[in-house]
Amino acid sequence: MTRYIIRRLLQAFPLLFIISLVLFILMNNMGDPLATMGGRRVTRKEDRIRLARQLGLDKPVMIQYVYWLAGNDWTKTDMDGDGVAETPGVRKGVLRGDWGISLVNRKLVTEVIGERLPNTLLLMVTAEVVVLVSALLIGIYSALHQYSLVDNTITAITFIMYSMPVFFFALLTMYIFAVNFKKWGLPYLPTVGMFEPEAGQTFSQVVWHMVLPTATLSFGYIAGYSRYIRSTMLEAMGQDYIRTAKAKGLPRRQIVYLHALKNAALPIVTIIALDLPFLLGGAIVTERIFGWPGTGRLFLDHVSRSDTPVVMGILMMIAVAVIVFQIIADVAYAWLDPRIRYK
Amino acid sequence: MKVKRIAWISISVLVLLSMVLSGCQPGSKTVVVTEAQGPAVEPTAEPTEAPPAEKKVVTFIWTQEFDTLNTLYTNMWFVTVLYPIYECQAWWFDDKNEPLPNLVSEIPSLENGGISEDGRTITMKLRDDIVWSDGTPITSADFKFTYDMAMADSNAVSSRSPFDLVESLQTPDERTVAVTFKELYAPWLSRLFSGQSGAAILPEHILKPVFDAAGTLDTAEWSKKPTVGCGPFVFEEWQSGSFARFVANDKYWLGRPKVDELFFRFVPDDASMIAALVAGDGDVGTFFAYSDLPQLEAAGLKILNSFSGYNEGWYFNQHPEKGNPAMRDVKVRQAIALAFNREKLVKDLLLGRTGVPATDWDNSPWVEPSLKPWPYDPERAKKLLEEAGWVDSNGDGTRDKDGVELVLKYGTTNREVRQDTQAVAQQDLAQVGIKLDLQSFDSDTFFASYSENGPSANFSLDIIEYSDSPDFPDPNAVVWLCSEIPSDENPAGVSPTGLCDQELDSLFQKQSKQVDFTERQQTMYQITKRLYEQVFWLGLWEDPDLFGFSNRLQNVKISGATPFFNVSEWTLTK
Amino acid sequence: MESSTTQPASLPPKAFQLIPDDLETPPLTLGQLAWRRFRRHRMAIFGAILMILIVLYTFGGMLIFSEADANFVETGVRLQPPSLEHPFGTDTIGRDILVRTIYGGQISILIGLTAMVVELFIGVTIGALTGYFGGKLDSILMRLTEAVLVIPQIFLLLVMAKYFSQSIPNIQLLGRTFSGSVLVIIVVIGVTTWPYLARIVRAQFLSVKENDFILAARATGTSTYEIIFRHILPNSIAPIIVSATLSVAAAITLEAYISFLGLGVRPPTATWGNMLEGAYNYVESAWWLWFFPGMLIALTVLGINFLGDGLRDALDPHSRTT
Repeated sequence: MTRYIIRRLLQAFPLLFIISLVLFILMNNMGDPLATMGGRRVTRKEDRIRLARQLGLDKPVMIQYVYWLAGNDWTKTDMDGDGVAETPGVRKGVLRGDWGISLVNRKLVTEVIGERLPNTLLLMVTAEVVVLVSALLIGIYSALHQYSLVDNTITAITFIMYSMPVFFFALLTMYIFAVNFKKWGLPYLPTVGMFEPEAGQTFSQVVWHMVLPTATLSFGYIAGYSRYIRSTMLEAMGQDYIRTAKAKGLPRRQIVYLHALKNAALPIVTIIALDLPFLLGGAIVTERIFGWPGTGRLFLDHVSRSDTPVVMGILMMIAVAVIVFQIIADVAYAWLDPRIRYK
Repeated sequence: MKVKRIAWISISVLVLLSMVLSGCQPGSKTVVVTEAQGPAVEPTAEPTEAPPAEKKVVTFIWTQEFDTLNTLYTNMWFVTVLYPIYECQAWWFDDKNEPLPNLVSEIPSLENGGISEDGRTITMKLRDDIVWSDGTPITSADFKFTYDMAMADSNAVSSRSPFDLVESLQTPDERTVAVTFKELYAPWLSRLFSGQSGAAILPEHILKPVFDAAGTLDTAEWSKKPTVGCGPFVFEEWQSGSFARFVANDKYWLGRPKVDELFFRFVPDDASMIAALVAGDGDVGTFFAYSDLPQLEAAGLKILNSFSGYNEGWYFNQHPEKGNPAMRDVKVRQAIALAFNREKLVKDLLLGRTGVPATDWDNSPWVEPSLKPWPYDPERAKKLLEEAGWVDSNGDGTRDKDGVELVLKYGTTNREVRQDTQAVAQQDLAQVGIKLDLQSFDSDTFFASYSENGPSANFSLDIIEYSDSPDFPDPNAVVWLCSEIPSDENPAGVSPTGLCDQELDSLFQKQSKQVDFTERQQTMYQITKRLYEQVFWLGLWEDPDLFGFSNRLQNVKISGATPFFNVSEWTLTK
Repeated sequence: MESSTTQPASLPPKAFQLIPDDLETPPLTLGQLAWRRFRRHRMAIFGAILMILIVLYTFGGMLIFSEADANFVETGVRLQPPSLEHPFGTDTIGRDILVRTIYGGQISILIGLTAMVVELFIGVTIGALTGYFGGKLDSILMRLTEAVLVIPQIFLLLVMAKYFSQSIPNIQLLGRTFSGSVLVIIVVIGVTTWPYLARIVRAQFLSVKENDFILAARATGTSTYEIIFRHILPNSIAPIIVSATLSVAAAITLEAYISFLGLGVRPPTATWGNMLEGAYNYVESAWWLWFFPGMLIALTVLGINFLGDGLRDALDPHSRTT
């Protein structure tokens, strides 16, 4: 097993290299970070030339990539514009932990992302927990009461939920629970941000503000997962060993939870583990609509200003997380299901 | 068993949550009145204890968060308008756009020796009582330090203007700063340590050690937390993504402001800003869409409209090699001006709350008084097009000439009002037989430079639309100069039209050196007249800054150049 | 199933006269079998009907309203709520939303179908190659597939859509003008979604390849091309069809997402997605701006999902247990 893990980790490095290279090249050819540096006015000619030089944007793409990866303190840069490179660079590069500074506000990339990451994690982990609990409850109930009225209703509803685009759901819930509740004088849900600034970042404020975004994020997943659990539960319940257990006269509860569920829930583990790293990216659309200060919104804001260092930082963070979690998922699955063995 | 346990845990969590929530008030308005930050006064307060004074807080609702609070590193409008709040500059501009001394004792002029005989040296005499918020006096050394930092090669500042035109900056004593320009520079009043495009003063005693240690100011902590300032308010706190606070500066030499705190709340978009203002959760908002104004006014907000020189307009591609030759025919341009019903556009889309400009210098003393916007006259437009040789010979609705159809590429950014304008223009011009090919882009793609093949710089579009202003309140503009045309030799040029008109070029060069007002005005009259008649630029709507103030705020005056200049006079009523 | 009317030759003629069973059904082809199973799936029928209605609405609507109606601007009647004259209301410059949803729907569905074709082409090719040949080719291509899968789809979409956002010419087709960004979106969606299909195809190929009839085909000298396209592929067609159907829904949804975020199809070409762009600014004041396009997207995706579910049951009953 350890050898398998090490082999997978080693395989990951060339993958990460290729991904970073392709993304970097894509990023550099889309938009000009200097274009909006003039604020409301167009950037002046002299400032454009100078900033391109100071921020290293006048170099060819491959050189920029090398500087991003390995830094430029082993080479000299031209700081005063006379065409002669005389000052040693100050960047250490990603390989040594220096992710650069944002082109938008010159803050360290790690700081920029680090400020927003906890907010995203808070939202996404809560959503994931909600999804898990609800999907399990609904899926099991559906499976045990197959083809009953409740089951059919649930099936129909889950299909609808599964098909609805996230922003439509967000807009609908916003319209009903925030706008209309307010009109009808009911206590209404807030729709913007993480907390009301006057009240401060208290627990109740954050929870109250989290309701709509969490609901928006989870509904689609609940729909999908609950159907999956339903079908695996049904498959498990149809197995011979369940029939044996029933014949032996075991109590129903024990059959369902002890035997069927354990086997049915196995694939879910893999699916969750594979979904988790995508949580880091945050839900771009949800964060945009509800103004949640997370990494999804950060990505949007900085992509629209062509801020390569920050965008690369977010993407690489997700890529690393995905690879790591894929390995974890495979290992966990093997550990849980003794029938599986990796070479 | 696992599921049961999960169910129990979730139920208990839900129960806990509902207990917590029921104990707290839902909804956006909290129990505490917005001002009271001190200890809440119990209704049964002992009569002997005087209740602490309620803090007067003005809440701003900002739709864009600051990128940095360091004057040298930002050109973001949402930060530069705040200079009169937390920064100090040599002078500000009042609601008539006259200079108002802040750090200097009087505005430099020829009479008081502030401007030298040859006009190249500006001498500023500083006041005696100016101090930083930590008590350190502000001296000319701070001015020199700001200049040095802007020009330092290791600082990737966002703009060096106007310091890159300065020959030298002398500080003969602590109260005098003498700036000598390389050449006569008429726009110094709106840029030299003043105005939104100019720099504010940096504290040398705080930042010099930082610069010496790190070699650059790029990563200075002070940029995010300028805890030592010199404005009527001092920075207190900034939580990224949520809010920022500035508190009154007791040491402000023009008198402590009347309100205690300014609170900035960052919201993601216009809709939330409008909602907050209408609900009374905010006192100040800006950058509204005109369609929001009725709703705001119905909620009791005062809308102040301050002109800052910005006008939305069409720039026509005049590049001699690239670009549609049809655009170089003045009759075609005049026909376009006559065929596009901009009055109706402003009336319907902008609710008639602004006007149509004739030139980019309207509403200032620099525009020739007889110029009125081109009227809506489609018949005359059709005649002009026919005179120019464009007729619809193949009956497809679009005019053509020598086998070439009159199809013009029209591009702009993807702001909603601009997309809407594009569709309206397309329909209007189709009535006279001109076909518009619509394109829209993200801002950073649209304004990308020539070397990045940005659509507004590579002359692939025939008409580009955006909002620009001269160096308000100064009329100087560089975008019409021949030297600003981007090309392979000059990739960073900023001319959007590619126009090289010798007459205009010499006039622009002339006005930038004319320090005498009347002479300069005459030159500007000639410039505006020529631009108007030749239709190198077509005005769509005037783009003033819109500010909304709740009726709690009194005594608010807005300047076009430095909007919040009288923030220390604002008061709050109940 | 063989017909049972042959008589065993060695037995006395009258002893074991096998009575032709009139009640026995004639042999059914695969397609007919699938159709029967499909018919029993109520939701699938509902989905099919829904899809037919939507297609009628969007493409049939062309006969009633012209494209000029969709683009007709009249700023005087902007932001009108639904009324007799404008059943779905008007948008911010007075265009009728009903007609725009008709023409927008055409583009949205077109994008969905074409993106699916692109995805199909790339995904099946790569899946087939890796599944059949294995070895080095498999390693390299699977690494490539993984590389695309590692980045969350929407991030990749945004980056690619922005990459192509330079000056895009307008296309003239069949007398109508489309923004070139339609093509861009199709390519971008196709290029970011093929890995999902490739994995399915590969898994299919890996299992079908081991069958005896493939061994027989190889033994008789059938060319690789024929083996792949005439033997393996037709036998793995079921999950491909299901996946392709569902990916149309996914493509329509993705197009809506990126248009909503402002990087999709450029106005004035309408799609359901870009009609929603910026609509969240009008949640309160003009609900009809986002409700109708959003509803149509939801219904279309719902219909396709039902359809896909039914197809999966009909074509490949072993993949589901209920």
